[in-house]
Amino acid sequence: MSTALPVPSASQLLSGFGALAFRTAESKLTYRLATVLSLIASGFAYCVYLLVWLAVYRENPNPGPIGRGAMTAYLVVAFMVNAILTLSLEFRFIQRVRMGLVGIDLLRPLGFLPFQMAQGVGDALVNLVFVVPIFGVGLFFVGGSLMPPTAGAAVLGAVSLLLGFVVNFGVSYLIVQASFVLQSGYGVIFTRAALHQIFSGLAAPLVMFPDGLRAAATFLPFRHVVETPVRFWLGMAGPSEAPLLLAEQAAWAVSLLFLGELVFRSVMRRHQVQGG
Amino acid sequence: MDIAIATEGLEKAYQRRKRQNGFWAGMRSYFSFESEAVAAVSGVSFTIRRGESVGLIGENGAGKSTIVKMLTGILVPTGGRVETLGVVPWKSRRKLAQSIGVVFGQKPQILWDIPARASFELLKAMYAIPDEVYRFTYDEAVERLELGEFLDTPVRLLSLGQRMRCDLAACLLHAPAVAFLDEPTIGLDVLVKERVREHLVEMRRRFGTTILLTTHDLKDISATCERLLVLDRGKLLYDGSREGFQARFADERTLHVELDGGANDEAKRALDGELLSDGVTVVWDGDRRLRVDCPRAASAPKVTAAVLRSLPVRDLTLQGVELDAIVSRLYRNGGKGTA
Repeated sequence: MSTALPVPSASQLLSGFGALAFRTAESKLTYRLATVLSLIASGFAYCVYLLVWLAVYRENPNPGPIGRGAMTAYLVVAFMVNAILTLSLEFRFIQRVRMGLVGIDLLRPLGFLPFQMAQGVGDALVNLVFVVPIFGVGLFFVGGSLMPPTAGAAVLGAVSLLLGFVVNFGVSYLIVQASFVLQSGYGVIFTRAALHQIFSGLAAPLVMFPDGLRAAATFLPFRHVVETPVRFWLGMAGPSEAPLLLAEQAAWAVSLLFLGELVFRSVMRRHQVQGG
Repeated sequence: MDIAIATEGLEKAYQRRKRQNGFWAGMRSYFSFESEAVAAVSGVSFTIRRGESVGLIGENGAGKSTIVKMLTGILVPTGGRVETLGVVPWKSRRKLAQSIGVVFGQKPQILWDIPARASFELLKAMYAIPDEVYRFTYDEAVERLELGEFLDTPVRLLSLGQRMRCDLAACLLHAPAVAFLDEPTIGLDVLVKERVREHLVEMRRRFGTTILLTTHDLKDISATCERLLVLDRGKLLYDGSREGFQARFADERTLHVELDGGANDEAKRALDGELLSDGVTVVWDGDRRLRVDCPRAASAPKVTAAVLRSLPVRDLTLQGVELDAIVSRLYRNGGKGTA
């Protein structure tokens, strides 16, 4: 039998990746009203955090090492970062597992992980488009404290946001593997959402947490999705902390992708693509 | 001989949790881990040459889709060997993906929310389809499958037939070396089915595409495949030519006779006397028409000669049993042919 199968080149993979990301974004934009409504709904939910913290500061002007102004800026930027990095990947995937459509995704020359990641990039692109005007509204109400204090902080924030995307994707990719095994991934998605809510620094910077929770957070990847990029952007973490924090983020990103791929290979040996 | 697909003793067994119906049984299942092995495919061996077009048929649950999934690499066999285009599919799935096209009937191959044209462009980038190949496959699909009027409509708004045509076009856009088509004409009307078959024939003629087609519509097979694989409960029941299948499993032929004037009782008795010993059945439709069912053991020329000798024949047609009839009889008999 002939063994000379054409191998996709790097430029083909890159071009396929980009095309899939943009087409995923195009798909997501189809449901513009649903996208806007879900963003508004999560914005309202997030306002509750803000109001709770403002009430805390009214009662006690020094509840921790962060002042009222810095806390307000942190919460608004944390919402933006979280909104950008909220991917539809897991729900999309669960639906495809249930309908037996995942077989089609497995047969694309891009490879399964890049295929999923390209879709995640598409999701994040659309989120970014919607978040920019919301950031403008935040600037109007909260003022310049939302902006990075230096150009260096902006660069570190952007780099950290990119790494945060990969960390977040890595966690999602593991959820995707769980959906394969369990044939329905709603349980793991809700568990992940709860852990993310607590340990990502979405509700408050981890420095405001009790010691036990803060210690637990250091062993989990979630803080590198929201808290680390926000701290860089707002100048709460400076260039001296950058090497360690960025290295930690990168280590989590690589480890999660590696683990995801390892689990994927094991799952593929045993899984069953549903339906005839 | 250049082989596209080869399997040897291919097996796939699933572990399935045992569960009874009902609410309490559902609750009990949380504390029970009993499972059973279900053999979906058992000891299937065949080879398909490059450029061949082969029909894979069998009842629902016979293992057709499971075999396609193992050949494409999305399922790992539990036994035996499998190679597609020279590689073990599940080990080299990504590499293989570039050279195969797959349609899983009723499962959309292209993005749901954007028009088919945009999905085709996405596939062009993803498979790095050369311009001249894309120009041909795209134009051929648009023209042959009449996609033009709905190419810019979001896929979710298309009818099943329109979507299936787009799926087939998408599967063949990169001119794959092997196309696995799992029920590509399911739910389509007669005209659309014809277009799909024509498209397959043309793609095969132009690119020498190897086709493995699973279907329940045997006209798909008649129009596009010269070879048949018949599965029954996970086992290969037949592997050979379409004609060979008919010769092996068709247990009778029918002679339709029209008379030039009525036949009297004496002539009818004479005919019965000549034919009944061979197991032939004569069914009269009035005095001027009759049908003679001949078992395979009976000689058709002998039966025809007897009819011509005994009756004033005006017209006579000898008809073999159609593929559909043989297959439906096989299914009814649980895979036991009459051979």
